[in-house]
Amino acid sequence: MIEPSLALYGDAFERVDQLIQDLLETTGVRYGLLVDRKGFVLSHKEALWAPRPPALDSVATLVASNAAATAALANMLGERTFSEQIHQGENGTLYVESVGTDSLLTLIFDASVPLGKVKVYAKKSITQIAAILEELKDIPPVQLGEDFSQGANALLDDLLG
Amino acid sequence: MSTINFAAREINCKIVYYGPGMSGKTTNLKHVFSKVPGHLRGEMVSLATEDERTLFFDFLPLDLGTVQGFKTRFHLYTVPGQVFYNASRKLILRGVDGIVFVADSAPNRLRANAESMRNLRENLQEHGIDVRDVPIVLQVNKRDLPDALPTDMIRSVIDPKGELQMFEAMSDKGVGVFETLKTVSRLVLERLSQNK
Repeated sequence: MIEPSLALYGDAFERVDQLIQDLLETTGVRYGLLVDRKGFVLSHKEALWAPRPPALDSVATLVASNAAATAALANMLGERTFSEQIHQGENGTLYVESVGTDSLLTLIFDASVPLGKVKVYAKKSITQIAAILEELKDIPPVQLGEDFSQGANALLDDLLG
Repeated sequence: MSTINFAAREINCKIVYYGPGMSGKTTNLKHVFSKVPGHLRGEMVSLATEDERTLFFDFLPLDLGTVQGFKTRFHLYTVPGQVFYNASRKLILRGVDGIVFVADSAPNRLRANAESMRNLRENLQEHGIDVRDVPIVLQVNKRDLPDALPTDMIRSVIDPKGELQMFEAMSDKGVGVFETLKTVSRLVLERLSQNK
């Protein structure tokens, strides 16, 4: 095993989802994602008024890769890590902050939303999300079994011939 | 290990195409992108230089479908092959579930193949992983070169014990691309089922 997998179970997932939803409503953020450090989306929410989001797979991959590159830079500069990344454009901002060691909270919002406000509320949410993810670390690994492998192989034949 | 999201009923696996510069890693992904129906794949993201050399990575998400209620996905990545991009290669290996090693059949690339495999072992080791603990498939690419080396000779510098499954390929024509991907995907899914 290369890295621990992040398994989100029902109740924990709902609580994380709700925290991101609350954060969106409080701050006016357009899209909120919890992304793991391998670049997979764990949870995402979008404001009711928001247009269709960009490809979330791509967003998650680029955010996680960017965080990895930033962390490598931090190490080179004698820092343990750089915990947050802020990218401000003409029309909006991408804000990324570490949640514990395994995931990243990613928020995308318009220029009209004050960055300071987002940061204050995001830090509160991150503390709560990190506590939920911490609870999950003691859960035993999942058993998928032989049936899963067989079912997946049949689908592989369909996909790749 | 793959990321399993129980609540969202999703399983995500990461496959990385590794190998020396210009061996055809990006071409593999481009072929998959061009042949897999649009509803089963996402956008292809390429972080490349102006002359189309991979600078950071290429990325292509593939939807396998739903297995036992889990939406199962593969994320395909390539690494930059050029020697001096090792920092990027190391980052992309993070969380890898399976590897396709793309070797070049050209005679003047034999040493590059060997060095790239050694670099893979070293980079995995830095992540605390033994190369034998990750499913790896060997693809010997560019078999249509007029002076292509025999596969045995190429294998001898990459996989001297002959432990890896090997496929001959011409990725620019699509030959061997799906066979390679299918095999590495199978190996990843087997390990997932065995909970390794």
